Amino acid sequence: MTKELTYLNYLKQDRLPTQWCPGCGNGIILKLACQAMEKLKIVKKGTVMVSGIGCSGRSAGFFDLDSVHTAHGRALPVAEGIKLAKEELNVMVISGDGDLFGIGGNHLLHASRRDTDITVICISNAIYGMTGGQCSPTTEVTSKTLTTPRGNVDSPINVQALVTAHNCFYARSTTFHYNHAMKCIFEALQHKGFSFVEIKSQCITNDGRRRGFKNSYEMLMSYKETYRINNSTNKLEHNEIGIIR
Amino acid sequence: MTKSLLQGNQAIALAAVKAGLNFYAGYPITPASEILHELVNKKTVKVLQMEDEIASINAIIGSSLAGAKSMTATSGPGFSLMQESIGLAHMMEIPLVIVNVQRVGPSTGMPTFPAQGDMLQCKYGSHGDYFPIVFYPNSVAELYEFTFNAFNAAEESLSPVILLSDSYVGHLYETIEESDYPISNRTLAPLGTSNRHFTGLTHEDSKPVTSDPEVHKKLIKRLETKQKKVSRKYNDYEYIENKNSKILLIAYGALSRAAYDLKDDYAIYRPVRIFPIVEKLIEIAKDYEEIVVIEMNTGQYVNEVERLLHRQINFIPILGGKIDLNEIWTKLRKIKKKR
Repeated sequence: MTKELTYLNYLKQDRLPTQWCPGCGNGIILKLACQAMEKLKIVKKGTVMVSGIGCSGRSAGFFDLDSVHTAHGRALPVAEGIKLAKEELNVMVISGDGDLFGIGGNHLLHASRRDTDITVICISNAIYGMTGGQCSPTTEVTSKTLTTPRGNVDSPINVQALVTAHNCFYARSTTFHYNHAMKCIFEALQHKGFSFVEIKSQCITNDGRRRGFKNSYEMLMSYKETYRINNSTNKLEHNEIGIIR
Repeated sequence: MTKSLLQGNQAIALAAVKAGLNFYAGYPITPASEILHELVNKKTVKVLQMEDEIASINAIIGSSLAGAKSMTATSGPGFSLMQESIGLAHMMEIPLVIVNVQRVGPSTGMPTFPAQGDMLQCKYGSHGDYFPIVFYPNSVAELYEFTFNAFNAAEESLSPVILLSDSYVGHLYETIEESDYPISNRTLAPLGTSNRHFTGLTHEDSKPVTSDPEVHKKLIKRLETKQKKVSRKYNDYEYIENKNSKILLIAYGALSRAAYDLKDDYAIYRPVRIFPIVEKLIEIAKDYEEIVVIEMNTGQYVNEVERLLHRQINFIPILGGKIDLNEIWTKLRKIKKKR
């Protein structure tokens, strides 16, 4: 049993359990990141975790690594500064969709253009969870949130197009497709250059319950029904998950 | 010792390299761009032209954490964009140097004309309480020297230090001696060596604590004490005594150069360490019946002086980027008549 849990070494175990709500997808992604790092035998010294602000922003503090919890939206330029100043470091970013595509959208555009060798894991839950459930850049059309009570009218941001426009590594997965998500992070970590993994994740507290889901299990099942894996394409449809190199 | 004819902005760049600058991130802006131009040619400095000033300051926060001595330079509009992250750097205790070559504002204002409108922004621009160290030299030689001081103070205090300039001093050419000054080394271990957590949240022993007022009080008190202690090493000011005058003029930066012409009739005090305000002024001010602050804004530093001295202070604003000695002269005469 203890042997199976060696990935926990990547976490500050005295800080567990996390403060996230029951049913949150952030913990799944924390575990995914740890297991992918373990699989690659990444040494803790020499690895840096950076995060922005929001529920996902708290992730960095749980890792047993040197970690930086930056200002809202600024995880990418900080990570770039770290990587370019000390190139031997592995630099990873874990942050949310509001942080990376909303307030920090410009930095995503330019970090991918510069192709800085960092790995970004985006916890994409289509909501601003920490502030109570406002519409985010990835909220689907017609989706009801605190700030779109009659349904969202704006289309969600096309992250795939943004990241692949500069020929960077892009992968999409969900918290339901655990092994697939692991494969995405595993490959992203090995990729030289800017790599971006978008993991669709559930927020039952401030998103799912407003959209009629009873619990996060139902949300996970909706990922199962919606998404199918396609690993042999260079353009993912909106209901597909996969890896584009 | 080499003597060279340098522009103010160039002097900052050259001194920064000598003070150990490894990493620079910036965004073009009049009148600070020459610093970026000068640094791209330096082999020992990694230079990044970022997408905006927010990215610039955050990139140097990252590089500084990674162990590189880091700097950025900008002017008012860019400095406004940087404010949030300046607060972050104070909270995370990261040594940085931020150069602000001031121009006329608000907004785009008059980009090529000098102003001193960012004085309070240096101290109060970011939200919350923080205690920045700010220098404002008034010549090319001083810009050169205080770039060293800014880097040293940043390393000693583990905080972002602001080096103010203005488009007049920044674009001024003067012959200076390129001397070497002592350099303070990095004490903060670079990233990738431990399991520290750097956060903008209120924290204790690298753990976020967001519901204990005592922890926050302790943190702010510690930051204040630390900043005051380091700033004491840099009590820089210039005082030109005038026993025949009952009036003390206070001016700094570009404007203080004009004020020198009034030294036969008035005493002159010029702060170089703008914040924390040099307390020596209390002692100096005792000898004068009237104090007149002249600055290129509608009254910023005068408030700080008033707060320090607890007395009525006269004020002369010089607006629009033009320093006219006649204007100062006339306004000073009015103050004299009133007495």
